[in-house]
Amino acid sequence: MTIKYIFLVSRQAKIRLVKWYTMLSQKEKAKTMKEVSQLVLARKPKQCNFIEHRDTKVVYRKYASLYFVAGIGLDDNELLMLEIIHRYVEVLDRYFGNVCELDLIFQFQKAYFILDEMIMAGELQESSKKTVLRVIAQQDETEAVENSERGWGDIKYVFANLTHAIYIIARIHIYVFLMYSTLANLVDTY
Amino acid sequence: MAPMKGLTVFVADLRKCRSHEEEERRVNKELANIRVKFKEHSLNSYNRKKYVCKLMYMSLLGYDVNFGHKEAVELANSAKYSEKQIGYLAVSLLISEDSGFMRSVLVSLRRDIHDTNEFNVCLALCAITNVPTREIAEALTEDILMQLLSPASSMFIKKKAALCLLRLFRRFPEQTRARTWAARVIPYMGHRDVGVTLSVTSLATALAQQFPEEMRKAASFAVRRLKSLVIDREFSVDYVYYKVPAPWLQIKLLRLLQYFPAPSSADLRGQLLNTLRHIIDVSQDVPRELQQMNAQYSILFEAINLGIHLDIDQGLMHESAMLLGRFITSRETNVRYLGLETMSHLAAYIDSLAPLKRYQGVIIQSLRDRDVSVRRRALDLLYSMCDVDSAKPIVSELLRHMATADLALREEMALKVAILTEKYATEYSWYVDVMMRLVSLAGDHMGDEVWHRIVQVILGNEELQMYACKISLQTLKAPVCHESAFKVSAYVLGEFGHLIANASDSAPIDQLKALQSKMSATSLSARAVALTTIAKFINLFPEIKTLCLRVLDRYRSALDAELQQRACEYYALATVESQDLMPTVFEEMPPFPERQSALMSRLLKQEGNTEDQRTWIPGGRDINRKHREQNSSQQDLQEDIPESAAATDPSFSEVPKELDEQAAADPAASALTPEEQERIAKSRKHYARLLWENDGILYDGDEIQVGLMAQYKPPAGRIGVFLGNKSAAAIYEISVHAFIKQSESKSVDCSALEIQLSSNQSSLPESLMPMAQSRIYFDVKCKQMYSTPPTLRISYTLAGAPSVLELQLPVTAAHFMDPVTISVNDFFARWKQLGEATVGGESQAVLKTPFLSSGTDAIQWLRSVVGGMGFALIQGADPVPDNLVAVGIATAEDAGRFGCLLRVEPKISHRMTRVTIRATNETLAKVVATNIGMVFASH
Repeated sequence: MTIKYIFLVSRQAKIRLVKWYTMLSQKEKAKTMKEVSQLVLARKPKQCNFIEHRDTKVVYRKYASLYFVAGIGLDDNELLMLEIIHRYVEVLDRYFGNVCELDLIFQFQKAYFILDEMIMAGELQESSKKTVLRVIAQQDETEAVENSERGWGDIKYVFANLTHAIYIIARIHIYVFLMYSTLANLVDTY
Repeated sequence: MAPMKGLTVFVADLRKCRSHEEEERRVNKELANIRVKFKEHSLNSYNRKKYVCKLMYMSLLGYDVNFGHKEAVELANSAKYSEKQIGYLAVSLLISEDSGFMRSVLVSLRRDIHDTNEFNVCLALCAITNVPTREIAEALTEDILMQLLSPASSMFIKKKAALCLLRLFRRFPEQTRARTWAARVIPYMGHRDVGVTLSVTSLATALAQQFPEEMRKAASFAVRRLKSLVIDREFSVDYVYYKVPAPWLQIKLLRLLQYFPAPSSADLRGQLLNTLRHIIDVSQDVPRELQQMNAQYSILFEAINLGIHLDIDQGLMHESAMLLGRFITSRETNVRYLGLETMSHLAAYIDSLAPLKRYQGVIIQSLRDRDVSVRRRALDLLYSMCDVDSAKPIVSELLRHMATADLALREEMALKVAILTEKYATEYSWYVDVMMRLVSLAGDHMGDEVWHRIVQVILGNEELQMYACKISLQTLKAPVCHESAFKVSAYVLGEFGHLIANASDSAPIDQLKALQSKMSATSLSARAVALTTIAKFINLFPEIKTLCLRVLDRYRSALDAELQQRACEYYALATVESQDLMPTVFEEMPPFPERQSALMSRLLKQEGNTEDQRTWIPGGRDINRKHREQNSSQQDLQEDIPESAAATDPSFSEVPKELDEQAAADPAASALTPEEQERIAKSRKHYARLLWENDGILYDGDEIQVGLMAQYKPPAGRIGVFLGNKSAAAIYEISVHAFIKQSESKSVDCSALEIQLSSNQSSLPESLMPMAQSRIYFDVKCKQMYSTPPTLRISYTLAGAPSVLELQLPVTAAHFMDPVTISVNDFFARWKQLGEATVGGESQAVLKTPFLSSGTDAIQWLRSVVGGMGFALIQGADPVPDNLVAVGIATAEDAGRFGCLLRVEPKISHRMTRVTIRATNETLAKVVATNIGMVFASH
């Protein structure tokens, strides 16, 4: 199983997260993502989750308004890739608590860290939800300790918490108006 | 976790933008702001982190961010974990592999990988995986390997280290020197932690494809681990995915086993078969939940693939066929898709297609599936399961679908129909009918290969020709005639029109009229073909010459240059007063030589080297067998192309022994396919030519062409290597590397020749466009006489697939030779002296030289070869005029100068040539003898 790339694209064709596991020029990458996005966004429900694009098999799954797309080798196991995607979504969901697209936008770096913990070199590294979450929790803890150690940190820390509050308010705000659909709850099951 | 305020605000700002322009303005403003901030010296680390995050976000949105690299590296260097983490992430997202900043990244990687804090080690491993560079591979492979093997490192580090090695190995197979440590990772496949096992198995799978011998033991580990998972159900609850135990690991193991032959020990084999049976049995009931079903089925499909590969139990295969038959009618699209795919794999290996044929109707139905992905799989399957009996119905079904198939699929379909029809045709009329219908239906969607091939086949089969003519004429007379069909018809009538000239309605005049009636509506290229046909008519049917001339005359003033030229030339030919000019020029075409159909080569494309290889390809049994053999022999081939050249000539007595043995020990040599043999012969020719000429082609493949331009000023020289891209896509990541292969027996050689990239030249470009050329120079310096020429390794990536090409460089000790002229008397004096002396050596060989028959030309050629190799010919030394004697002096920087005398005695009557070399250095004499042997053998 070699994953060539994973990216998240919204229904409006906005890229939310990209990770490449092969070396290509920036231009080439952009071109591939554009073509694949078009292919995937044009698919209808009830069609299968696989489609071929040049020498890659594209495996995708739609969660609420977000498409999780992965490119794998022609010979690789598609169903399994589909379940890797699902596991990733599950971990995101557990970490963020009812994850929605907005979490991934505002905290894209966290989404990357979680992905790195699950997939490396285009191969699945860890499939246990518990193990991944434990590592990420430890990372957060380290960060919190470091933040509190900052010399003039107290003020800053309060400040940071304030920001968090702003973020939460923004989130709720948009919950109400835009997308109150969380990803995992709306797994398009077919 | 505390998000950064600035970042949150910025992201929110961008989200508020109503239009793209507004967003762009905001981004530009921010970029300008960050540029200013980065210039300030007082930037604290918190702000640095924040701005780098913003840059990442902008690059994610697709904006070009080309600064901030220094700041990313600084973050990676930070002592704080959270900053380091962001730093490494930014390095992977923003900095490209060839950037100068990667050097400084290497510094912090080197420190972090030995850090006592295991989190930092993990970050470093992860970063290496994301941006592997050649320097990293060279500098850190050892350290990463130690992290994997060391008992002190935790399982977090172990699994990351394994995947990190995998990435480096795939990217830089040379630098990682994986062969030396491959076997040491195997025991970790038995690690109790599933994460570690999974990662190490991924690594082992990649290694096993390159070093099957070293990795032999991995197979038994895999079988045992699989059994413990599936049958003994030993696993931790954490790794159960919707009731299925560690599906990813199961599949990895099943896949790994597909790269090995069936286990030889009966015990292991039994365990494996039991496991496979168990998997198949479990899948008989359909799980309720989607996730469980996916996981379970993915294991099942992989198990069937393995069963097919092992090929030891036909019962298992038939059972699989039944199960798959159920799947392809499933209501789940995914299951239908995978069922069809796995069935094509089955069709490629199963002994009898009978169990599959029962489902032929269903499969044909699937060609009308709503989903294009499913339709494609159905097409693959039909193609794979076609045989003589089912060819007719399958082909006619495919033709029926052709008209309605989607455009993307039509080309592939047309290609496959063409191949199947040719392969399984039992009646000539059927072949012609089908092909004519095919070009009419799908002509727009296929390349010229298809109609070219039809013409080739018709030319090659006499029995076909008359019928083909009849059909061609009918096609032309039909109300609508497709362009490609027109071309085929025109060509066939031009060649064989006379065969039907006596039948009613097909008199020459009718043929011409039919052709003319369609000609005006076709494209220029088709009209060009038609003009040739008309010219041929003049030759075939003198009675309609005036009519034909009239047509040609009209086209003499055509606007298109090609048409005009053809018309003028043909007109001139036809009006020359000569009895035999026309019959000679337009003589019937000879049948095409048998070769691999261009259609097949179009279907099968080359793949990369260290990427996972396909275990099978769509198509019938024979082609898959061949595919397997090729895969196994590919590697040996690349290494000794020029060596085998010398070894194939048995009459050549002085071939160094080890070369002979190498070739004899190479089992692949006997199992070569004709194309490979042809390829080797070609590269042998190129190599031999460069032994006596300074410039020329060294390698001419489908993708790249390598040329060489050498200048010698003994003991130094300058070798220019020219790379040309012959493919249709750009080539990336080119690296050219010359070195001397180390072998145990000849360790002296390594220091005998110095070869390195010339300084002060521009490096190779990042990419090479199609048809573009690039060059690179090497400086060589001969220190001592040596016998093994250096190796040139070219690696590049084409269409995402990395390739490595290894070529022997024609830079031998004999290349450092200068001609010297001495008198005839001196020559014989030295010749005698050397014959008696104990130092130095003599090499003598009697070579087959079949080309000698052509007389003086051949002697002239011999002279130019000897001259080209750096010898000076001595005129009139030998009483026999055809014999050549020559002298040269080879120079090595450390070892000094060596004289070399050469005597070539061609025997035209026997077509043999005796070559004697006496030199003051034994190695030199041997090298010259080997070189001459190669040049003669490939002339």
